[in-house]
Amino acid sequence: MTAADNNASRPRGRVVTFERALLVFAVALLLVLPAFTSDFFVSFVLTQGLLLGIAAASLIFLAAYGGMVSLAQTLLFGVSGFVIGNAVTTGGSKGLNLGLDPWLGVALGVGITTVLAFFLGAVASRSTGLYFLMITLTFGVIGFYFFGQVTTFSGFGGINQVRAPDFVGTPGQFPERLYFLALAVSVIVYVVLRYIARTPFGLSLQGIRDDHVRMSSMGYNVWVHRTLAFTLAGFVASLAGVLFIWWNRQIDPASIGMGEILALLIIAVIGGINRLEGAWVGAIVFVMVNNYVRDVPGLNQIGLTEARFNTIIGLIFLIIVLLSPDGFIGIGQRVVRLLTPRAWHTSQAPGSDSGSGPSVTAGSRSDSGSGSAETTGNK
Amino acid sequence: MTTTGTAQILQLSGIEKAFGGVHALRGVDIDVAQGERLAILGPNGAGKTTLFNVIAGDFAPTVGTVRIEGRDVSTAPARTRPDLGVARTYQRTRLFPGLTVEDNLYVAIVGKERGHLRIFKNKKDRVFRERAARAAQRVWLGTKLDTKVESLSHGEQRQLELGMAMSVHPSLLLLDEPASGLSQGERQRLTEMLLSLEESVTLIIIEHDMDVALSVADRVIVMHDGSVIAEGTPDEIRANQMVHDIYLGRTGSLE
Repeated sequence: MTAADNNASRPRGRVVTFERALLVFAVALLLVLPAFTSDFFVSFVLTQGLLLGIAAASLIFLAAYGGMVSLAQTLLFGVSGFVIGNAVTTGGSKGLNLGLDPWLGVALGVGITTVLAFFLGAVASRSTGLYFLMITLTFGVIGFYFFGQVTTFSGFGGINQVRAPDFVGTPGQFPERLYFLALAVSVIVYVVLRYIARTPFGLSLQGIRDDHVRMSSMGYNVWVHRTLAFTLAGFVASLAGVLFIWWNRQIDPASIGMGEILALLIIAVIGGINRLEGAWVGAIVFVMVNNYVRDVPGLNQIGLTEARFNTIIGLIFLIIVLLSPDGFIGIGQRVVRLLTPRAWHTSQAPGSDSGSGPSVTAGSRSDSGSGSAETTGNK
Repeated sequence: MTTTGTAQILQLSGIEKAFGGVHALRGVDIDVAQGERLAILGPNGAGKTTLFNVIAGDFAPTVGTVRIEGRDVSTAPARTRPDLGVARTYQRTRLFPGLTVEDNLYVAIVGKERGHLRIFKNKKDRVFRERAARAAQRVWLGTKLDTKVESLSHGEQRQLELGMAMSVHPSLLLLDEPASGLSQGERQRLTEMLLSLEESVTLIIIEHDMDVALSVADRVIVMHDGSVIAEGTPDEIRANQMVHDIYLGRTGSLE
């Protein structure tokens, strides 16, 4: 049997059928949901969930495929929003008030954020593991104070009354339009990132995640690879920033503060930091908890009022981390495994998604890499 | 015994390597001709793996020069070695556990080619994947292409380690204890495969298993405490009393 025959006879297409069916079902559900739910639900749960999901996807992409847990994604998300705010406002607000066309604002927001991500990535990619985490956290904190203190661009009061293109309308005018846009961007981001994971760039990024020393000895420039992965993730985060500013019409440093930085990490972990889908699952859960805590009977009586949102999300986080390191996605996978006949998982186990991380969490992988980083990290 | 008249593919002159106060290599001079099969023996801590790391560019020698095909690459980083035809394996397997066997080999093959940063698939990928499948068959993993490396047995991981190095058709192949952890049968199979390497391939092998090392090599170097202490044909080394003493631990110091 030649190698080509061997390739053809392997059941490559079938192994992901179930997973794909589930994804198609989820998207179909999201497409019809607005017909049955209130504008509040569409705007504050679905739209917000999807756009936070895109931001979290940029974090999970780096963590799951690159072994880099970045806390700078919230900053990049915010830079995109701040740039658009400065570019399109026409006065009466802080910032540059350039009064540009909203679409030009998008180009500037995405462009500047992506370029910034390249430079931040070039610095952060010199380190791995915990050090990478700390450097990216530093970027985030610097960003917070930059926009707070440099009043030319924002100040702590933030930028208000940011215009969106006519297509999006005024706030509350067409909540479905922004929602469907967020859904379209989510699907595109998901499909493209999954595709890239199977290309030379994506597969070698996963190689770098697993063993960057071996990758350099095989001819890869690990630093360039990491930097470009970070740039790509910055681009994705900037898209979330665009949707955010159109949804919120206002941005201030609190939108990218320490609490938001952690919220994005919590979303990723709740959803499942080893799989891209986890980003949106985590974001929707997070937003639901945020919006509906007050409606759960009994919680008020035991003191868990709306103001105790952080306590509740903290408890969920704790339970997830202890019970299912792969987050809600991991719980879902276990349920599916219990409900499907045995034959499924034997064919599904290998190759069904070589994109997802190994059974260890991305964090611990990159930590283990940091030990050997000193010897070769500066090559 | 150096083959005369052939180009030297590797020239190590005066290599010293110190880690702080520890001298791992104390002046090593080795020339290797193209197509030669060189085994490096020596007890643990003799500096064999350090020597490999210097050749492979993982770190530069403290003193001395490394020349590959005549070019001074002493301070060139590891990632420039594949362009010079160098491939290596590691004493402890260094694979990508989150990827399948095929993807491990694929990444190894792409590493030697251009287009590391390509973010779309094209027809070259089919060629690479066919090469990956052939490379897997060569190390008896042809049926495991879709298996994630984390679920391979230790022996299979050693085979893949070797397969990744060979998949790029290196001209200089560095194997660091390829037989360690293998069963007797697997060692036999490994030896046969190494003997079947194309003649143009230069092989440097670190190996504790004398049977494997001496049947593959046409020249043997024995290292101890960072220096070369003996050199000769496999037969000469077999007969060398000093080598026996080192391996059996009869002498404390040979300096």
